[in-house]
Amino acid sequence: MTTDLLMSGQFWTFIILAVVTLVSTYRMVTTPLITHAALFMALSFTAVAGIFLLMQAEFIAAIQVLVYAGAITTMIIFAIMLSGLRDIKQQQKERVKLWRSNPAVLVVGAVFAAFMLYLYYAANLPAGGGERQVITVRAIGTDLFTTYVIPFEIASVLLLIAMIGAIILTAKEAES
Amino acid sequence: MELPIYYPLGLGALLFGLGLWGALTQKNAVRILMFIEIMLNGVNLNLITFSRYYWQTNPETAARAPILTLFVMTVAAAEASVGLAIILSMVRNRGVVEVDKATLLKG
Repeated sequence: MTTDLLMSGQFWTFIILAVVTLVSTYRMVTTPLITHAALFMALSFTAVAGIFLLMQAEFIAAIQVLVYAGAITTMIIFAIMLSGLRDIKQQQKERVKLWRSNPAVLVVGAVFAAFMLYLYYAANLPAGGGERQVITVRAIGTDLFTTYVIPFEIASVLLLIAMIGAIILTAKEAES
Repeated sequence: MELPIYYPLGLGALLFGLGLWGALTQKNAVRILMFIEIMLNGVNLNLITFSRYYWQTNPETAARAPILTLFVMTVAAAEASVGLAIILSMVRNRGVVEVDKATLLKG
């Protein structure tokens, strides 16, 4: 690691955001309260949105905040409130068990992450050079409505079907 | 000096590993859904990283990775909404939210 890298603001911004992401995701696993887990998930998503900004993907960063940190977190918190999960004490007991009963699962996650890290390191990826284009929302929209119009329409139909399915699954119970 | 590509790729791999660990250890169905979202987020991070380092130099291909990421997010949102609806109806009908207690199909 060169001192040049250590001096750059980009590096330290990335390190801070990465630490926030990883710590909040780790706390998601270990926290006994499920509402706290949902809020840690929102924090993790927001930090990843910051990394998207660092990667010059402003549109995706905005969508990340809107969809993940906004919509999905709200939906999960609503589901927790509506279902009245009274398993807080039980979760706390399970947390103690987590370390003893499931070492194999921890090994699976750790081995996967280590394998991917080794793969990236061993791949000796070339340094991406050249003049970078700015990805404007205009360019994304133009591509989305010309080249990728059929996947776009399929995605919108998928969302419609998911919405109808969710309404049917939950509204049928409300009648009876 | 620019940030090496290994740092964001490594963060994506760690995020996926943490999500995998959480999704396999938790018994609460809502928590499992949350960790699946985390795993998809790690995948998105990898897509955006590769796009920034290799695709963004070409104006023809520059907008492709955000579009692919957008589709991943669409599928994640659809999956979360249907999954939460299934969990809600499971809680109302059978009163369980732990996945190992939903044993109706067990022989």
